[in-house]
Amino acid sequence: MISKTFFKETKELFREGRVRISLIIVLLLLGVSVWISTRQFQNVNAQYAMAKTSERDVWDNQGEKNPHSAAHYGTYAFKPKYPLSLVDQGVDKYAGTSIFLEAHKRNEAQFSAAADQTGLARFGDLTPDFILLFILPLLIILLGYNSFTKEREMGTLTLLKSQGVSNWKWLLGKWSALFMPVLIITLTLFLIAGILLDNLQDFGVFNWNSLGVMFLVYMVYYAVFINIILLISSLVKKSGIALVASLCIWILACLAAPKAASNIAENKYPYPTRQEFAANVLQDKKEGLDGHDPWSKEAKQLEKQVLQEYGVDSLHQLPFNFNAYRMQKGEEHEAEIYFKHYNYLKEQYSNQSNIYRSLASISPYLPTRFLSMAIAHTDYDTHWDFADAAETYRIATQEFLNGNTAKNTQYGERGYKASADFWKQLPAFQYDPPELGSVLNRNTSNMVVLATWLFATFGLLFFTTKTL
Amino acid sequence: MLSYNFKYELTLLLRSRWIQLLSLILVLLFGFSTYNGLKKVETRQDSIIKAKDEVKESDAMMLKLLDSVERGMEVSASSWTIPSSPMAVGNYHPRVAAMEQQPMSFIATGQADLFTHYVKPTVSGDDASLNFTEMTSPVQLLFGSFDLAFVIIYLLPLLIVAFSYNVLSSEKESGSLRLLASQPIGLQHWVLQKLVLRFFWLSLLVLVSLTLVFLVLGLDPFGEPTTFFGLVGLILVYMLFWFALSFLVNIWVGSSAKNAVALLGLWVLFVLLVPSILNQLGNSLYPMPSRNLMINEMRTMKAEVTEKQNEILDNFLRDHPEYALNDTTQSRGFYHRYMASQNLVKEKMAPILDSYEGQLQNQQNWIGKFKWLSPAILVQESLNRMAGTSKENYENYRKQVVAFAGEWRQHFMPFLYNNKDFSQLDYPNIPEFNYEPKAQNSWVSIPPLLLIALGLFGLGFLGSTMRRTHSIIMDS
Repeated sequence: MISKTFFKETKELFREGRVRISLIIVLLLLGVSVWISTRQFQNVNAQYAMAKTSERDVWDNQGEKNPHSAAHYGTYAFKPKYPLSLVDQGVDKYAGTSIFLEAHKRNEAQFSAAADQTGLARFGDLTPDFILLFILPLLIILLGYNSFTKEREMGTLTLLKSQGVSNWKWLLGKWSALFMPVLIITLTLFLIAGILLDNLQDFGVFNWNSLGVMFLVYMVYYAVFINIILLISSLVKKSGIALVASLCIWILACLAAPKAASNIAENKYPYPTRQEFAANVLQDKKEGLDGHDPWSKEAKQLEKQVLQEYGVDSLHQLPFNFNAYRMQKGEEHEAEIYFKHYNYLKEQYSNQSNIYRSLASISPYLPTRFLSMAIAHTDYDTHWDFADAAETYRIATQEFLNGNTAKNTQYGERGYKASADFWKQLPAFQYDPPELGSVLNRNTSNMVVLATWLFATFGLLFFTTKTL
Repeated sequence: MLSYNFKYELTLLLRSRWIQLLSLILVLLFGFSTYNGLKKVETRQDSIIKAKDEVKESDAMMLKLLDSVERGMEVSASSWTIPSSPMAVGNYHPRVAAMEQQPMSFIATGQADLFTHYVKPTVSGDDASLNFTEMTSPVQLLFGSFDLAFVIIYLLPLLIVAFSYNVLSSEKESGSLRLLASQPIGLQHWVLQKLVLRFFWLSLLVLVSLTLVFLVLGLDPFGEPTTFFGLVGLILVYMLFWFALSFLVNIWVGSSAKNAVALLGLWVLFVLLVPSILNQLGNSLYPMPSRNLMINEMRTMKAEVTEKQNEILDNFLRDHPEYALNDTTQSRGFYHRYMASQNLVKEKMAPILDSYEGQLQNQQNWIGKFKWLSPAILVQESLNRMAGTSKENYENYRKQVVAFAGEWRQHFMPFLYNNKDFSQLDYPNIPEFNYEPKAQNSWVSIPPLLLIALGLFGLGFLGSTMRRTHSIIMDS
């Protein structure tokens, strides 16, 4: 009976013009979006590789220079694009792509793509994730809104009841008929994406497991939508009303809830403005050790402490250059201040995340969006990860440079220059995004919410259709 | 017939509780979105005021310090921050260059969540490193804001679709169409009258609920009558466009469900697909040069310049003999060399930075040509302009700031190269930034939108007279 219903429904769907047209449109859109994304992906990564090597050249060929001058001259960390961003662009467009690493200062990632685009960019892009998250649920609505209402309207419901079919078999048939086209479309997309990515040799971290898990996430998302649409169709009497009600759910889940969530989150847990943030950091810096300022109270205290520790009574007797040592201590102190202030941002963001999570109870879109971005390494967490890695590297670089001065000069000595080939000894910046396992670990709450959606809607559907 | 139609339509709408439901939804949507917008504007304005107050305070401190220095007293500040040095004033006492909020800023977030609303340019900073982006969680940027513009552009059309998709088809389905056919009125006239009436009621509801929400939230809608009526006018013609589409679909398509699907398809097309495809095409046709590669070029240039600092300073002084003449000491330090080379970097970077502006302008022009394809784009553009939050507004602000940064730098150059101390007497002369908003014409997109809507109505009329009315009735 399940298979009979399935074949009947499928046949019916494919005979209808609107279904054929909308399927063709969806496939066309997907094709275009994959093509555009692939081009963009290759483009960005080629630029990334070029920028990275060229930046390293600039650093290596600084010539003879004082290490601290080099520290001020600084270097850049560039953020690559990860393979699965081909499927889900996530927040990539809105997050900066390069971080300037210099002495005394932790800088934020700069130059997001969105800032260089016109106002039209805010309508969204034609990318695979747009189709997967917005258009496919609409397709499900289009295919399924009249699944049960048509039986009522055509009067076939009574006929069916007289057949003695158990409702759940009948339901399962209808369910799988709705699921099949969506499954085929998504599977095709993911297979094409996988093959494309597998053939791009240079950009290593792609693995099929991540793609598979992402595919599963979307399958659950669609299952939830199918459940909701069938539920509405079984509860409502007329097709028109079922359609309008389903659309309302779609608007609420995919359009209204995320925007409302973002507003509520911002009202409750605001970020400081860029200038406020800078002012707060400056305030804290003033109160602590400044590596450039030997006359401050903190510097004098450090001096006393070091003299005591080494059991000598003048800075000249220390086995290293105290100026460089103080510079490094100042650097460490400033790094701590930045750590504190960036941690505040992170805290605000994790509070905001809680709001997104609580609003996920009215929108299955939210957990799906977050999970998909996380697996694709295009979420905000990965961006933080990258920024933190860059900061760790910055601190290590400062230590490397100050250490060189401390070792090679005497206290009070001026005009020291490190040799031209010294710069090559600095290890290159290396960042690997978190593995799939830890990504999923970090997102357990989103998975739980999505799973709850799945089982709750299945349960509801099962019980309401028991008595049809 | 019109008066009958009017009377029965109203009774019908009231009895079916459409009017009550719509009023409630509209008040809720307008209320929530306006509140959100106001909140954001308030935060922005507050941060600007706070920044200006801080500058006032630090200025008072600076004057005190200057006073002590001028009287020859010992001061307890780090040597490089003492304000008798012009570079210390230029670097540690910058002015706030703020983009003041416009009276209608709350209606559209536009690019406001992406860009900052004040910066403090310093003498030694270069224009390329002035960061104009705001510190926002990218998740928020991704989801966007629930502002009035969102309600108008995205949700209002959907309300119209729900309100009008089955005007004709429900008569067909309930069997009353044959009854109607016996009345002395053409079918398309009848549908048109019904839709015009619904348009009238919805407009009235929109106007009333918008005014109500504005008043409750403490805004004076009639304080700026041209902008307020510009906004209302824009909403009405946009609504008219969707009613016109609904008219076409009602006459040409069949059952209620098919109508709804067709209208929804049009919504997806106009609101979601056309804008994103246009944007994508604009980006591919006029791609922005890579910012990362720009960084490389800037770095190489700076490295070259640093090596030749002395030479650059000599050339600079040759070009500016006024500096070399007036100074008796002729002493040259770090800042003399630095500022001269900064000048050179700025000149050399100009073409690279211009290429971004040029490409952005190309994209803008390209969109300007094709924006007529989707009224949603027209409305978004107009709302952003009305709010003063469009890309152009921020570009305009950025240019004003860059010009001001130049003025700020230039102001201190004579001090620096003449080795003249900054004194209390010089304080009143330091430049201030005044933001000049671009003049906006809030009525400009209304006529074309109106024409599009009327054109669609006309099309529906012509088409339906050709396709004999009786066939619609016989179909049922």
